Amino acid sequence: MKVQKSLPKTKQTSKRQQCNDKWFKSNRIAKNPDSSNLSPSTAMAKLEHRASNLRKDKPNLKRLKKGAKAVSFRPVKTPAATERTPSRPLTNGGAGGPEQGSDSDESQDWSSFAKSVLHQNGGGESMEGQESCVSTKAAPGRIEEEAFVHCAERDYIHNRTVLVMQQGQTLCFRGKCLLSCLYGRVEVHGFTLEEGQQSYPLFSPSSHCPLTVTALGDSPNPSKTKKAGRLEAKAIVRKYLSTETRRRLLSEVDSDSCVILLEPLDTPLTRFLNSFPDLKEVFGLSSRDIRESSAMLDTPLSGLGITPLRKTARGMVMSQTYREALNGLVNACAEELDGCPVILVCGAKNVGKSTFNRHLINTLLNHTASVEYLECDLGQTEFTPSGCLSLSTVREPLLGPPFTHQWAPEHMIFYGQSSCETDLDRYLESLKSLWRLYNRETPIVINTMGWVKGFGFQLLVDIIRLFSISHVVQLSSGDKVMCPQLTPEFLRSSHGWQTHPPVQSALGEDNSGTHPAQRSYTLFRIHSEFEGAGRPGEMRHQRSNEQRDLALLGYFSQLQSPEPGPVRPLHCFTPYQVPHSAVAVGVTHCEVAPTHVLYTANASLVGLCCLNEKVSGRGSPVLLSQTPVCPCVGFGVLRGVDMARGLYFLVTPVAPSILRQVNCLLLGAVTLPNTLLTGQTGILGDPPYVTMDYSFELTGAGKLHVFKGLVRPGQMKNAK
Amino acid sequence: MKKKTTEKKGHVVAWINKAEWDQVLEYLYSKDCALQKYALHRISAWKGRFAHNTPIAVESTADLVRCQILDRSGKLDADDLVLLYGTALMRFVNLITERQQGKIARPLRRLASNLKIPEWIVNLRHDITHRKLPTLKWCRKGCKFVLEWLQQEYWSRQLGSGLAENWESQSEGEDGEDELQRQEDELITRQKEIESYKKARELLISFEKEQFQTFEGFLEEDKQASLWPEPSADMSWILAQIKHFALESSEILIDALIEDGFMVPTIEQLVSLSVDNSDPTAPHLPRVVLRFWLPLLKDLNSQLFIHLLLEKLFVELQQLSEDNQKHRSFYIAGWISEVILCNSNKNEYHYESKIQRKARLKDKIFMKRIQLRWQQLLAACLNAPCMATPHLLQQILEDMEHPMPLDTRQKLLRLSSIYTQGADSGCDPPMEHSGQPSGIYTLESLHERLRVQSRRQVYMMHPGIVSDSRKALPERTEDFQEHLSPDVLAERAAELRGSPWQVCTDKVQWKNYPLGKVPGQSEDPSCLMVDNFSTIMVFDQQVEMENATQHNAHAGVSMPHRITTDGLLWTHNDISKLKAGLQLF
Repeated sequence: MKVQKSLPKTKQTSKRQQCNDKWFKSNRIAKNPDSSNLSPSTAMAKLEHRASNLRKDKPNLKRLKKGAKAVSFRPVKTPAATERTPSRPLTNGGAGGPEQGSDSDESQDWSSFAKSVLHQNGGGESMEGQESCVSTKAAPGRIEEEAFVHCAERDYIHNRTVLVMQQGQTLCFRGKCLLSCLYGRVEVHGFTLEEGQQSYPLFSPSSHCPLTVTALGDSPNPSKTKKAGRLEAKAIVRKYLSTETRRRLLSEVDSDSCVILLEPLDTPLTRFLNSFPDLKEVFGLSSRDIRESSAMLDTPLSGLGITPLRKTARGMVMSQTYREALNGLVNACAEELDGCPVILVCGAKNVGKSTFNRHLINTLLNHTASVEYLECDLGQTEFTPSGCLSLSTVREPLLGPPFTHQWAPEHMIFYGQSSCETDLDRYLESLKSLWRLYNRETPIVINTMGWVKGFGFQLLVDIIRLFSISHVVQLSSGDKVMCPQLTPEFLRSSHGWQTHPPVQSALGEDNSGTHPAQRSYTLFRIHSEFEGAGRPGEMRHQRSNEQRDLALLGYFSQLQSPEPGPVRPLHCFTPYQVPHSAVAVGVTHCEVAPTHVLYTANASLVGLCCLNEKVSGRGSPVLLSQTPVCPCVGFGVLRGVDMARGLYFLVTPVAPSILRQVNCLLLGAVTLPNTLLTGQTGILGDPPYVTMDYSFELTGAGKLHVFKGLVRPGQMKNAK
Repeated sequence: MKKKTTEKKGHVVAWINKAEWDQVLEYLYSKDCALQKYALHRISAWKGRFAHNTPIAVESTADLVRCQILDRSGKLDADDLVLLYGTALMRFVNLITERQQGKIARPLRRLASNLKIPEWIVNLRHDITHRKLPTLKWCRKGCKFVLEWLQQEYWSRQLGSGLAENWESQSEGEDGEDELQRQEDELITRQKEIESYKKARELLISFEKEQFQTFEGFLEEDKQASLWPEPSADMSWILAQIKHFALESSEILIDALIEDGFMVPTIEQLVSLSVDNSDPTAPHLPRVVLRFWLPLLKDLNSQLFIHLLLEKLFVELQQLSEDNQKHRSFYIAGWISEVILCNSNKNEYHYESKIQRKARLKDKIFMKRIQLRWQQLLAACLNAPCMATPHLLQQILEDMEHPMPLDTRQKLLRLSSIYTQGADSGCDPPMEHSGQPSGIYTLESLHERLRVQSRRQVYMMHPGIVSDSRKALPERTEDFQEHLSPDVLAERAAELRGSPWQVCTDKVQWKNYPLGKVPGQSEDPSCLMVDNFSTIMVFDQQVEMENATQHNAHAGVSMPHRITTDGLLWTHNDISKLKAGLQLF
């Protein structure tokens, strides 16, 4: 089986290179100098800068040259759309011009890629699974302990490791690091890194499926002999390693191997998380890795902050249907016959929606400069703290779980709760108003919530109808049917919360042109086969509330200075101040007596929102009588209230130029992580809102708690 | 899953301090409706803070007090009131018994009696849910009783009544039934552990006996001979048994092994083996003791076992370093050193004779070098500072598969020897020429050094390790306060100009003020009350921010509408009226 698969693959690569070789040469020239001649001290600072501000300012980000082509993929880019963010070149390698291929060339490229995805991934898995069949080949599959001795070398002076991987080899790991591809191509969670590109931060915390780096090999260039490739690769190794350390590696390098550079990653985020005792091990091993002792602790990678895993630890498991869907969607983006694909991903909780989303976005980013992302899931949000709906333009690959990329979305609406059931209309209205801002010039991925029963399902139906979805990806797991198949036929007759199926007129009039919402779509069904699919995670940091806290901590880590230094707790920052009368305050999730509202607001998380109305309250606080759908630009902590002077103090990472527009602070059911309040050090007196003496032993001291599936005594007898 | 009872951290609650709690409690149970109303309003704010975590008792109390207030207001008919009371009482009984409920539904009556709630309250609930509605009189009676019950069982016992032992056990809403199941499971495993522990001890004692016998017999024969006789038949049988036991519960076996009287010999045992103690900084196990246990250890030397043994030894050492038991920690450290030595691949034995070599190898627990988890070992070693730490550290550092850079090693060694106050004895010559000032014994200079010189390198390379050795040092008060440079301040001010926002320029040491507190804030729980406020009613906004000028393109008309109230409270009626009024526009 393996052999059959690998055969077309080689054919595939040779086809690929034909469209690739054009940019190959120019690329070689442009790369490397910047990464190799850094002096150690500035190197660190640069890494720092690069990693922390990846999103904010990337003066020279590099992307696959195919990314550059994507401009022609949809050439009209209205300046209005990019107005808010500083304009940046879409061609990011610096060599955008020459290789504007013809349309046919391009689509060939797309589809060839799509096929290669199918093959590589298929190959990757069977390699891991059936080692015996291929063991004689150049050791594909997971790099094991002994292999590290040969293929990795640590540079102690610059503290980095050069790793040589043979085509098909994988490195699965826990931890965090900065990865740059020096030679060849490697793939991480769908994203292809090529030589000469910027380095990317990888985050593989214990709470999620470990990341895997797969060597794709260098697609050999016909104009370049094998020998030339080998020499080139060796030259690169020489550049990064000193004489005594590189000898062993040089013998490993061949023209089709990949050379990657791994460096430690230290960002405000990692420093901030590390300052909380409970979170020190977030980037460590999971309890399962330890139980199955799948960690390789003593390798040349160990000092960098990553731990490679043995074969016993499974990386991401992609089922056949998963690969087919991915493949189909990539093809769909290539065709673009009528507008950009609008992809909706749905499924019950814990079936791998968010992992699929990231994989899909990363894969698309190999080809296009950006992908739009509409967040409809209030609980497990990708780019924001939970309780928010948002529309983001994704330009960077997502190589970690959500808390590692809390990037300010282009547009955001504060809903205030981690589920939408209390106000379905406001939920839908918020989504609609975000949808109006989508420019329809780039592919969009729509993530939906895991609530797929009852009204949740109706909302899903609404979203499909309202947003003229072109592709639906429906994930499921196990045998249990959580919700009906969302086939176009099914949708034609199902009721949504706001939308309803067209009235079937008795005559054969049919829904020809009268109902534009009835546009048909393609359905991909994915059956998730990873272990634990459909069940909530039980390990540390896997519970949804822990993930929410991590996201918020990730968000507030932006306050930390990018230079290494002491980690500052939130209360140590110089706050902004604003008069009570200049900003309205609203509580979204419950009714609070107006005179007592500051008791809710003080030391709470607030959404920073903008109302069109001018807010002025004659020196006294202004309260919202109901929650409007309004834009939210970020979050802050209402650090304190000065009653005497009538001021609110706010700590927020939002830039002052944006903060100036904020005139409304919304409170929701998403609260600050407890550790932020309990872990405050260096303060005078006791922290407010924290007590040592609350006893949970007493009756009624706990929160409302609903037992599901209570068995009646009668039912018990029946069962027996 | 959660095992964090050692370090007690505070729990986040909705009240600022105890004073606020006391105030609410007092007002709730006062006879004055205005005060009761005040307390209800405060609880509405608490609910906002707590979100989904409002304690049931608080919620129930608020519901019942609300009924009382409405009852006393005289505005409602008896039938209205029965419905209100009914809901509050029903919710109380259902919610309060919820946590008592197991997997199988049990009668409320029984659950309630566990909580000292009388049957008539439960009957009242039954009447309200599925029988004839009770009379107002009964409702009032029930409400009064339940409020008293809540006061007694919850309010007056909560916060500082000395009941807060194991308060984390139930936090974050763990299931009651799981709790029970878990306790049971724990009990069973505990029992099993105790049994196998006993067995381990028995086995080891029989091993010791056998060894002592051979040893004594052998002392009589020839004092000098370094060769111990081949194990007897009895011994092989014991060893086989121990080996079998180790297959299943090596952890317990190791626990027993490192007890006093086994691998750590008692004074009496030492006397009978004729050994006397020596230098604690260089732990060197007396050969006799080593040989005594060698047959057993040789039998058990799987990789896993060695890992586990080392791990446990270090844990033990860490505990010992805290309670300062010299004798024990000497032997524990000695064993660690011995095991690591066995694994060493140093080639300093070039010049030994064949016999010497044979003798040396004979004393080894295992021959083949095994892969130790060096990073973990290193961390464990640093976590257990004692007299022998510099020695052990050196052994580990020299032996590591992928050694650290030389200067890092030296720094670590140096640090550890300073920490254990063995600076003169523990240091190696190569460290001296690294040009450190000798007066590095104050924490400040050490910290400074760490920060300035080695932060980049050491910290980046071994974040875990350095933070560990830092932990061992007492916290130095660093300046956490953010100091914005004049440039940044000016820049921010410029960006905010024209808006109501400002960077706070008060000369305040914010690091002294926790979140939720500002300078000059009084401890009075009513300090955050809003006397005057205005309300604003806004409609849905267009989300796109840039086009503020053409705002009502999609999202409806916006219409500010203000009502200024002076100190008047809103009732929920008012709020719903306002909401109803919305439709007029």
